Amino acid sequence: MEENKEIKKILVIEDEHFIGELYTRALNNAGYQVKVIADGVEALSEAQKDYYDIILLDLMIPNLTGIEVLNILRDTTKTPHLKAKIIITTNLEQREDVKAEIEKKADGYIIKAELTPMELVEFLNKIKL
Amino acid sequence: MDNFQKYLNGFRLRLFFSLILENLISVGLIYLIFSYLNIGLGKTLIVAFLMSLVLSLITSLILSKSLTFPTKQLQQAVLRLTPSNNQPVSAPDTNKLSLGKELVSNLISQIYQISAVASKSADEIERTKYDLTKDFMANSIPLPIFVLDTNENIKFANKTAAKYLGMDVSDLINKNIYSILDMSFPNNNTFDAWLNNAKQNTANSSNQWERVKLNIRDQHPALYFDLSAYYNITSPEGYCTIITIFDHTKQYSQDDQSISFVALTVHELRTPLTLLKGYIEVFNQEFKGKLNPEMDSFLDKMRASSDQLTAFVNNILNVARVDNDQMELKLQKENWNEVLNQAIDTIDLRARVRGISLQREIANNIPLVGVDRLSIQEVILNLIDNAIKYSADSKIIKIKSHINGEGLVETTVQDFGRGIPESIISNLFTKFYRDHHNRSQVGGTGLGLYLSKAIIDAHQGNIWVHSKEGEGSTFGFTILPFDKLSQEQKKLSNDELVRSAHGWIKNHSYYRR
Repeated sequence: MEENKEIKKILVIEDEHFIGELYTRALNNAGYQVKVIADGVEALSEAQKDYYDIILLDLMIPNLTGIEVLNILRDTTKTPHLKAKIIITTNLEQREDVKAEIEKKADGYIIKAELTPMELVEFLNKIKL
Repeated sequence: MDNFQKYLNGFRLRLFFSLILENLISVGLIYLIFSYLNIGLGKTLIVAFLMSLVLSLITSLILSKSLTFPTKQLQQAVLRLTPSNNQPVSAPDTNKLSLGKELVSNLISQIYQISAVASKSADEIERTKYDLTKDFMANSIPLPIFVLDTNENIKFANKTAAKYLGMDVSDLINKNIYSILDMSFPNNNTFDAWLNNAKQNTANSSNQWERVKLNIRDQHPALYFDLSAYYNITSPEGYCTIITIFDHTKQYSQDDQSISFVALTVHELRTPLTLLKGYIEVFNQEFKGKLNPEMDSFLDKMRASSDQLTAFVNNILNVARVDNDQMELKLQKENWNEVLNQAIDTIDLRARVRGISLQREIANNIPLVGVDRLSIQEVILNLIDNAIKYSADSKIIKIKSHINGEGLVETTVQDFGRGIPESIISNLFTKFYRDHHNRSQVGGTGLGLYLSKAIIDAHQGNIWVHSKEGEGSTFGFTILPFDKLSQEQKKLSNDELVRSAHGWIKNHSYYRR
């Protein structure tokens, strides 16, 4: 149980307020520390602090698209250090080319409507940090 | 001394001696007539004149033949080489010449040379004209055209083809067609499959394909076209295959955007669905067991309904994919018991809230199968969902799976409901088809079986139904054990992502390498 003492930090980039609320509740209950940010630009600079273990990234967010955020976070000239695993959380079906881009750069991908918040927690627990 | 001078001298000499001889004979004759006949000067002159006339005639007859013989030889040479001359002409023989032999031989050989050059340039002009016509035609046709040799290397590409691909013609020549055209076909009937087949046949063949997608490097939007190809068995100069492209990018990519309309609709449905599922879960966690049994069952029904809606949304999306030939399955080695049981678990609640129990009879000797886990689970869900809808008052659905006589994995879903009239069974697997008699009593869109058939087809399996009115229906399908998959299909299964039911996590991160 020793290793569980370190609290994992999750950044939820999500502009649907209620989804943020549900995820925060479930993740807090599972012992994660959670911060939700809806705005793309704001979320990007928060993510670049390299503070988080996991970043949940919605693709439709204001001011920057999720793909843009993903690209910048994976560009070592713009984000030299990032330990966080990036999990795309979306309800949008992607075009094939975008899908390929995501498969190359993200560490995981979920369709939000397919998972309840508890199932999301189970999913995140499988990620080796 | 050149040949002409020699000829001229010979000519002069002959003429000179002939005239001298003739004059001498004439003078001699006049003298003889005058001395011996004594007929007087006047008459003598008349006789001498007549005789010299005869002599001149004889001399000129003899001389003219030998003097004009060289000209005749030249004429023969020229006539022999004149293309429009149809009369047979014998070859000149310069050995017969006594006068101007060198000159005429020389001239004749020069005539032969000129003629050879002329006929060669005529050939060349003809060929150039042909090349120009061919190039002109190929380049003025506003369709991309490629001509391939027997190794599928490009031997000719018109300017339109180069422009279509954003390349120069010189970039295309001698390249292998498959390295230039990265084409995706809607089904197994691909260009290379046809060509390999055509090569084994002994007759010329041609074929057309629709909705071919051309993947272009550098993330350009894909091009879409219809393709026509002609294979010529005799392959003149090795040019055996001609490919023509009929671009339909505008039209077909619009169809592509119709899936993005579907995608948008699905997105709008999914967002409230995410919330609904989330809050139902919160209620379940907080209140399950604390409410009265009726309220508990309401919670279950809410959860079952949101699951059903989720499944329906996925059906819409997948039908759009099937219709756009964009359904991509990745067949992987899977444990069938596990895949099947997981799917049944997912829909168990939906059955339970309707008082139906799902009975499983799954053999434990089923080998590893080659399936696309998510898609095949959708088939199972659709079949069980149908069985639930058509169960009427019966409370049991049997799900069985075993290895059949052909070594295939056979799975059946049997309900004991109202059954399906024989007249409509053949239409069941078509899109939007539903039993009209039952429409008012049973929900559903008729997408499920259409989709299931497409998915099973893609797994190279079979799907079928046995039904008897009043006794119920059995839907069944087969899939292949992994070992029976073709090498090609196995290659597709080589995937570095571990896909779980509703998303994926990277097996070994791209960035950790």
